[in-house]
Amino acid sequence: MSEQPSQLPSQAKGRQSELANLLGVIERAGDLALSEEPSRFAAALDEAAAEAASEAKR
Amino acid sequence: MSAPEWTLESLAGAIRTKSISPVEAAQQCLARIARLDARLRAFITLDAEGVLRAAKECEAEAAAGHWRGPLHGVPLAYKDLCHIRGLSTSCGTKTPEYFFAEHDCTAVARLSAAGAITLGKLNMTELAMGPFGDNVHHGHAQNPWRDGHVTGGSSSGSAVAVAAGLAMGALGSDTGGSIRLPAACCGIVGLKPTYGRVSRAGVMPLSWSNDHVGPMARTVRDAALMLQAIAGPDPCDATSSGRAVPDYLAGIEAGVAGLRVAVPENFFFRGLHPEIEAGVREALRAMEKLGARVVEMTIPDPQAMNDVATIVSRCEGAAAHARLAREHPEQIQPVVRARLELGFRISAYDYLQALRLRARLTRAFLREVYADADVLVAPVIPEPAPPLAHAIDGTVEELTERQGRFARLTRSFNGLGLPVLALPCGVSQAGLPLALQIVGRPFDEATVLRVGRAYERAAGWSSRRPVE
Repeated sequence: MSEQPSQLPSQAKGRQSELANLLGVIERAGDLALSEEPSRFAAALDEAAAEAASEAKR
Repeated sequence: MSAPEWTLESLAGAIRTKSISPVEAAQQCLARIARLDARLRAFITLDAEGVLRAAKECEAEAAAGHWRGPLHGVPLAYKDLCHIRGLSTSCGTKTPEYFFAEHDCTAVARLSAAGAITLGKLNMTELAMGPFGDNVHHGHAQNPWRDGHVTGGSSSGSAVAVAAGLAMGALGSDTGGSIRLPAACCGIVGLKPTYGRVSRAGVMPLSWSNDHVGPMARTVRDAALMLQAIAGPDPCDATSSGRAVPDYLAGIEAGVAGLRVAVPENFFFRGLHPEIEAGVREALRAMEKLGARVVEMTIPDPQAMNDVATIVSRCEGAAAHARLAREHPEQIQPVVRARLELGFRISAYDYLQALRLRARLTRAFLREVYADADVLVAPVIPEPAPPLAHAIDGTVEELTERQGRFARLTRSFNGLGLPVLALPCGVSQAGLPLALQIVGRPFDEATVLRVGRAYERAAGWSSRRPVE
């Protein structure tokens, strides 16, 4: 999406810096292994729930 | 007993024993809305005819001995991003019919099947983007505890309607705190269930990866009753979990003796308003007295997940609302437009890396926190509901910065997808509610509700009502 015409240079700079701050988290994380897929999120929830259930049974 | 004192459970019980009829209950709610809502602005659409018609049907069925379910005849209301046939869905925008879905919202359909009747659609932050609850198109919802203070958002009307006794319960949605923040500001109970526990079908998407639908109610038991009705798999929502739904009321009174309650040493208690910190720490002492084992713990840095969740939400929000942003940007509040614009500037590479990183951070959090704890307890809001001017006066940059600060304690749990219950834990000197959040293991809403109920029973904050 293009910049809004009414946007001031200081606003554009502020948003650029907001974006850079956010994206820093990806840089800091370092390399991600090939096996680290987005779908592993849902699997993590399911596995943790299953582990908790089996612990409760024990 | 009348509407200000009812809970969802007590009203459902009174209808079942025929000490009040569904029509009388609906009429009392409508009378309160007529008296209070011009000031509170909880509702965007009130369906007075529809609710009375439905109440009469419930009454006739009850007279014939037919009960639809545990919520028979109980008036509820829904955030105005739930698609319900026959009622418009503005999603807090200027456009009355902004969102349309092929099917009715599954969560509302399930509550209706359990007997609930629909009062109408509730106010919210425009496009559910913002933590304060302000809305220039439909009027700023008012905090029932103190005029001129924010309600929290984005499910602002849902919290106000429940706190003020206009509805016996409501649905909200939570992408970065939008159930918990208004629940905290308005002194009610709000539950963000585990990601996938409650179907989002028929609910306006803001971020497919972070959106959650959940109950907002006066008590923990009421929230459990609503969750019982709406939880479970749904073929209309591919992300809904097939995991079996337990009986949430079965163990809710079991107390907390022996349960391990973790308190984060890092992040959550930094820069807090002293009254919020005092309220949460006092609640932890109360849990300890009830037999819980309270332990301090350093948890994986929540700011990393906050940033990851924000990247994902901005991208998905921009994709979901691209048409409005491109064709009618002038109709969107500047601070909301700024959030959408940011999403268009994030590359596909960064979006996908954020989703991959989310999975890594979630695994680490689960491993490090829940090996030694059953739940985590933390504050919800960094300060009691601020004055409305804090949400609406200032440049876009100033407002964005304030929004980020106000929602910084809730957003990481959307990225983590964990079940979180927000509930009151005191009142400030200015008369505004204080609140805490209880965070559980994935799909362990039962333990979160059990801890919340034990504290609620001991502390009694949920029985307080705003002065009218």
